[in-house]
Amino acid sequence: MLAAKHAYPRRWPESTKRGTGPDKILPPPVADSSLLSQQGVVIMAEFPISFTLEYPYTRTLGPVIGPFLTALRDGRILGIRCGDRVLCPPMEFDPDTGETLRPDLVEVGPSGTVENWTWVAEPSRKHPFQEPFAFAQVKLDGADTTMTHAVKAVGQAAMSTGMRVRAQFREERTGSIGDVYFVPEDDARDQSIAPGEGEVEISTHLISLTYDDTLYPHAARYAQGLLDGKFIGQRISGDKIAIPGKGYDALARVMLTEADDVELATTGTVLSYTVLTPVKYRGQTETEPYLSATIILDGAGQSLTQQDIRNIPLDEFRVGMRLRAIFKPAAERRVDDVDNDWMYPSIGDVVERWEPTGEPDVALDELPESM
Amino acid sequence: MAEHAAVIGIGQTKYDAKRIDVSQFGLIREAATRALEDAELGWKDIDAVVIGKAPDMFEGTMMPELFLAEALGCVGKPMLRVHTAGSVGGSTAIVAASLVQAGIHQRVLTVSYEKQSESNAMWALSIKMPFAPTMVAGAGGFFAPLIRGYIQRSGAPDDTGIRVALKDRLNALKNPYAHLKLPDVDFDMIANSPMLWDPIRYLETCPSSDGACAMVIGDEKQARRAAKPAAWIHATNMKTEPTMFAGRDQVMPRAGLECSAELYKKAGISDPRSEIDCAEIYVPFSWFEAMWMENLHFAPLNEGWKMTYEGATALGGDLPVNMSGGVLSSNAIGASGMIRFAEAAMQVRGQAGEHQVDGARRSLGHAYGGGSQYFSMWIVGDQPLA
Repeated sequence: MLAAKHAYPRRWPESTKRGTGPDKILPPPVADSSLLSQQGVVIMAEFPISFTLEYPYTRTLGPVIGPFLTALRDGRILGIRCGDRVLCPPMEFDPDTGETLRPDLVEVGPSGTVENWTWVAEPSRKHPFQEPFAFAQVKLDGADTTMTHAVKAVGQAAMSTGMRVRAQFREERTGSIGDVYFVPEDDARDQSIAPGEGEVEISTHLISLTYDDTLYPHAARYAQGLLDGKFIGQRISGDKIAIPGKGYDALARVMLTEADDVELATTGTVLSYTVLTPVKYRGQTETEPYLSATIILDGAGQSLTQQDIRNIPLDEFRVGMRLRAIFKPAAERRVDDVDNDWMYPSIGDVVERWEPTGEPDVALDELPESM
Repeated sequence: MAEHAAVIGIGQTKYDAKRIDVSQFGLIREAATRALEDAELGWKDIDAVVIGKAPDMFEGTMMPELFLAEALGCVGKPMLRVHTAGSVGGSTAIVAASLVQAGIHQRVLTVSYEKQSESNAMWALSIKMPFAPTMVAGAGGFFAPLIRGYIQRSGAPDDTGIRVALKDRLNALKNPYAHLKLPDVDFDMIANSPMLWDPIRYLETCPSSDGACAMVIGDEKQARRAAKPAAWIHATNMKTEPTMFAGRDQVMPRAGLECSAELYKKAGISDPRSEIDCAEIYVPFSWFEAMWMENLHFAPLNEGWKMTYEGATALGGDLPVNMSGGVLSSNAIGASGMIRFAEAAMQVRGQAGEHQVDGARRSLGHAYGGGSQYFSMWIVGDQPLA
């Protein structure tokens, strides 16, 4: 249960009225679920939310970076001629003028000079080394520009501007920038590298981000409502009910409080729907066509979109149909995917099914306009 | 009074499902260098660059404008990135035009692109993202219920969408840059294609494309000096509204109705249907042609479908729409809006080749994005607005 009391000012203080979003940057969730007060806003921390976004993106490497990465795989470093200079890493165009460069690639290095550097004392999971190392701007012999890369040195004291370094290639090479790293020239060892097969043309990058957030008070009350088997909206200007509420009334430009919360009926009317034929993509779990309905709860000024319908045959489903939300048993209700995003709101995983009430359909010309 | 501005160069890439012959640099440079050549200018002649693309999620490149700056010859010059979801290509062109209209710059290069093959837009638009819109089943799953809402209101015949798709797919055969070309396309092929998001069939849907579009926008002096005819920008307009809002009409968004009404007023147009010669509008799903005909005041409410049905929007009709084949034929999302704006300009410059509308003197470019919530539009003509 939520122990919290709202403590929003009913209206914005004059000093913050302009240019201040209603949703404050939140402090991190607290373990004891006590209330945090920041600038007069009381935060509830019962609903910390975490989310990981991850996708293996690809990159088409093109006529210059492709050969550059192919050469790295094969133990060589290439630059490109640009006027009377050699650029390394190579580029498709002259960075000063924008003119396209002929792919006139030349081998540079493997040794070079450190022009600048910084020490990474506490590497992160995604750094090229898990022990302390340096990032340095290395001007390879034969090149006129520097390449920023990792230097593996025994300690910060071993690093200096102007020091000589040499490329070392990893045992496992995939045609990526991580195939190479640098060491102080005295630490370098000779390597014998067998060329790989084919050209490196496309690279893959698993990009992964984890976000942590905490539900805002109005969103927390909405989420708690869902857990309690209720739809909680908020009354806004024009006697309309927004579901979920935003915590503020965008038209009247006032904060909304718990006093503006309204429990809506669990019955509603189908405004529209589509039958979805699943398209394959990473993470897709659907295989068969299914119904997705837009339902407006009785009294609401805003519809619930993307409501899964699995219990009603496709050919019996129709606009105007009256439905009632049948909630899951309390212990099975989940609100994991309810977040502070009110643009495409989720009702979590709390509804077992939308069941026909048996009432006559609402005539099409009597449907609410807020499709 | 703002300065005159005009489109003096246009460049498009070939649109395709996978342009694995070029990097992101190469893709935008293909369009940009063609636009510069068309304007008979070099990189050094450009004062500023305005770039647009759809959400960073689509390629997984955070703030691509930063790493693309050198590729667009921006070193030492101002660069801006614009983002308004699917409408971004249009709003990017408008930002570029405004820099000239304000008298700040004389020659602005504007580019927008998407390299959809580097990710998967269905994934990017389906996954739950923090602080950002989520559409449980991609754009099609989101827009299909809106189309059904339109059909209910208007009583439009079920095959309206098929007719739009057939017209656009036939037009695409006349456009050398178009991605999806189906030489044997006919009514039955579209009608019999799988129902993806009822009532949207597979062939009533846009493809996923790689591609870029670019324009050079110049001031009056540049436009009069240019060897090729200019497309004079008569008016631009943008409007926005929330995606979800109690009382919002998602089928016929007020932002679009007001945006176009204001646009016509700025351009001195009182009867758009008769005063505009042709239009390139953002139709990612066939039915949106009918819906936008109403939203753009070309037809009374609930009667937009009649224009498609009567052939008014066909290449030989009284208001040809999407002569290029439209978004249904090429959808490099970030570029799609700019392609509409550029194709509208190509018509009044008389450079649209096989899909040229004879005697086009005034045309509309239109884009929308998000959950039908961002609108950007312009009117271009073969002469400056008096």
